[in-house]
Amino acid sequence: MNARARLLMFLFAWAALGPAVVVLILHLPRFGAHALPYGDLINDSAPRERHVTNAVSAVNFDYRGIDTLGEEFMLLCAVTGVVVLLRSKRGERVDAPAGRVEARSLRPRSDAVSGVTRVLAPVTALFGLTVALHGMTTPGGGFQGGVIVASAILMVFLGEGYRSWRKSAPSIAFDAAEGAGAVLYALCGFASLLAGLPFLTNFLPLGTLRDVFSGGLMLIENAGVTLAVAGGFTVLFGEFLEETRVETRDDES
Amino acid sequence: MNALPWAVSAGLLAIGLYGMVTSRHFVHLIGCLSVVQASTYVLLLAAGFRWNAIAPIFYSFAPGTPAVDPVVQALVLTDIVVGATVTALLLALVLELHKRRGTLDPDQLRPLNRDRKG
Amino acid sequence: MTLLLLLAAAGGTVVVLTRSPRRQVFAMAANGLILALLFETLQAPDVALAEIVVGAVALPLMFLVILASARMDRAPRRPDAGR
Repeated sequence: MNARARLLMFLFAWAALGPAVVVLILHLPRFGAHALPYGDLINDSAPRERHVTNAVSAVNFDYRGIDTLGEEFMLLCAVTGVVVLLRSKRGERVDAPAGRVEARSLRPRSDAVSGVTRVLAPVTALFGLTVALHGMTTPGGGFQGGVIVASAILMVFLGEGYRSWRKSAPSIAFDAAEGAGAVLYALCGFASLLAGLPFLTNFLPLGTLRDVFSGGLMLIENAGVTLAVAGGFTVLFGEFLEETRVETRDDES
Repeated sequence: MNALPWAVSAGLLAIGLYGMVTSRHFVHLIGCLSVVQASTYVLLLAAGFRWNAIAPIFYSFAPGTPAVDPVVQALVLTDIVVGATVTALLLALVLELHKRRGTLDPDQLRPLNRDRKG
Repeated sequence: MTLLLLLAAAGGTVVVLTRSPRRQVFAMAANGLILALLFETLQAPDVALAEIVVGAVALPLMFLVILASARMDRAPRRPDAGR
């Protein structure tokens, strides 16, 4: 349907639903002043029973651990989809020259950028690992730490150029890291089954409160998530940036 | 103030959908989709808020201090990261579409079986 | 808090009304930072951290790379010609 019909249908839908939305907004509970029974229960029992101080990580990896397993496999599926879409036509060579855009000049990389990224990339990677490791005590965890580590690896592209980046962050290593992270999380669940308990039960010793290595099985799940997210985002960046190189047709294929 | 977060969330949803409906470039459409996602984050986090409460991290505070809801924060946290990956999948689809049809305008693309010969 | 909520609504509106995709990327990055501030005010530091790293690093990069590769000249070349 053309654009005008779409817009008319959209306006008609909001004209029909608009009054209902307004009535709903006026009848919802007051912002910030209503009861939070589930949240209070978890805030009360997470430090006491699971020995972690970050209740959000306790929810992610223990109370609702199976939802995080689903999310992690969703991430794996999305990255696999991108790889299948973009690599099937292009192949797996990584030495193609850069593509040209008309009427754009190519400026060489400045030394300041190279110098700054040489200092910042290891610091950022260390920061990402710290955020990921301290997920049980302070704000952080595998999801944030994994993305920070992936962006630290991307800084190598900014500072050293495409070919050096692809050589130092080989695609096969990060494909394997992503799959290994997802499998590690699933294996944690199966380890609980082997111990005779329900899937993803926290059966390891839980440690002391406010210690970095507290939480038991949550630490291994956290490590799995970090690997999967860092590997997944690095693969995504690699696939996207490879699309800016010139397509070369091999003589054999 | 009592209903402002709910109104902001509904407003972001409406304007994001309006942008998706009247978009003339597929990458702009995906940007409007991120606005729609942001509306759900605002709604969830506002639903878990409590005035004069701390964040649900009990490192510097004793366990038992009134804190906000951690369940909705866990939902939104995983949603943000996985949503970025799904946006990447959408962008890859858009790139392949551009390679095959040469255009990124939704109005210039017709369904496959409409007016293609063969 | 009220100011940040209204700023978030304004940020979302600016993202939608910026029709040029290259400019919209920067509007999205700014919107991500405003949302991160809003999440921090709503006592959600984990979520704010995730929104900063995703909304200011990962998403703008992917959008800009897709826009650049859509503008590229795509005539395929032989592997050792045109270097």
